[in-house]
Amino acid sequence: MLRQLELAQGKVAHNGSAPPNILLYINPDEGERRYLCDTLKLDEHTLASALDPDEQARLEFEPEHLAAILKRPKNYSSEDEFVFRVSSMGMFLFSDKLVLVLSEDVSLFEGKQYTRVSSLLDLFLKIVYSSIYHFEGHLKVINAVSESLEDQINTSMQNKYLLNLFSLEKSLVYYLNAISSNSRLIERLKNSAAKIGLTPENLELIDDLLIENSQCYEQASIYSNILASMMDARVSIVSNNLNWLMKTLTIITIAIMLPTLVVSIFSMNVNFPGKDHPAMFWVILCLALLSVALVRLVWRWKKW
Amino acid sequence: MDKPMIREVLLSHAPGLHARPCLAIVKLAGQFQSRLQIHHGRKIADARNMMDLLSLGAPSGTRLQLSAEGPDADKALNALADLFANNFGLDGDL
Repeated sequence: MLRQLELAQGKVAHNGSAPPNILLYINPDEGERRYLCDTLKLDEHTLASALDPDEQARLEFEPEHLAAILKRPKNYSSEDEFVFRVSSMGMFLFSDKLVLVLSEDVSLFEGKQYTRVSSLLDLFLKIVYSSIYHFEGHLKVINAVSESLEDQINTSMQNKYLLNLFSLEKSLVYYLNAISSNSRLIERLKNSAAKIGLTPENLELIDDLLIENSQCYEQASIYSNILASMMDARVSIVSNNLNWLMKTLTIITIAIMLPTLVVSIFSMNVNFPGKDHPAMFWVILCLALLSVALVRLVWRWKKW
Repeated sequence: MDKPMIREVLLSHAPGLHARPCLAIVKLAGQFQSRLQIHHGRKIADARNMMDLLSLGAPSGTRLQLSAEGPDADKALNALADLFANNFGLDGDL
């Protein structure tokens, strides 16, 4: 699918009468891929990388354009079951247009940073910024989910919350890898400033990107360390919760078992002293209750 | 006990109720004393619980019911409805 936009008067807008200078390809079909490779001269391997979620971020200089693979968080859906994944995005900057290739439909141009865009190169850098911002947003979500899971685990005897925590930990590893990969892309952009033709404002933005990305990486790293270090403790908590339930059931079983034993003895079909005494029922009942009291006393004495 | 106040909203955000809108809802719900819930079909999510909200899986164009119960229910419901109307503070959707 192709969406055509234009950068006009400092804003990204739906294409009007002027030729579009922003081409957004969402999961391009065979025909669109042919056009991108044959007409726009995009490298086939780079185009495939743009649609491959496992690719690393990178920057390549082609004769007529600048090609970048950027990592961004994949949109989360309820089917993902708390696994937050990463996707790739291809950005191909020509002198007169910007071609973006994604594997899923996303709201790309949302955020205050798109209210004033001076050029396609500026837009290119702001898309990188919005990716970092998107990662930060998802990290806050992961933290909120983690806190919610902690509360559930404290009273749970099920594995599902632990499994959800494992999913979050896996997600953080994906994110750390992607953020680190993006940092290499941004550094390469900075080192190639003269070749790309970056203005002082662009360079300033790149410095901001490096700082933001570094902070994002630190945040992800902290969350990942917290989850990893607390995992064993949480597994023990779930196990302890189950043990506590077993203990309670055992107490109930013993408390029922002893009076049952007493009553069973007196139920034997043999003659025992006082068998026909009118108060024998109450004697047996008292003995049964005494056995329960005895269990209670022993339990308290042993401090079980 | 007061009856819960209910309002229906349209989820117009293009990607639907995904991660960042859910975060915005949790942050907003934490500012009020009332119990806020979001109903999507048979699913009910506590607006303070991120896991509940992420599990709703409401796509764009869905009609959701918001309910609020408590001392500041009216204020909370208005604020939550405004959040939906303003696209969760995620501007410039294209």
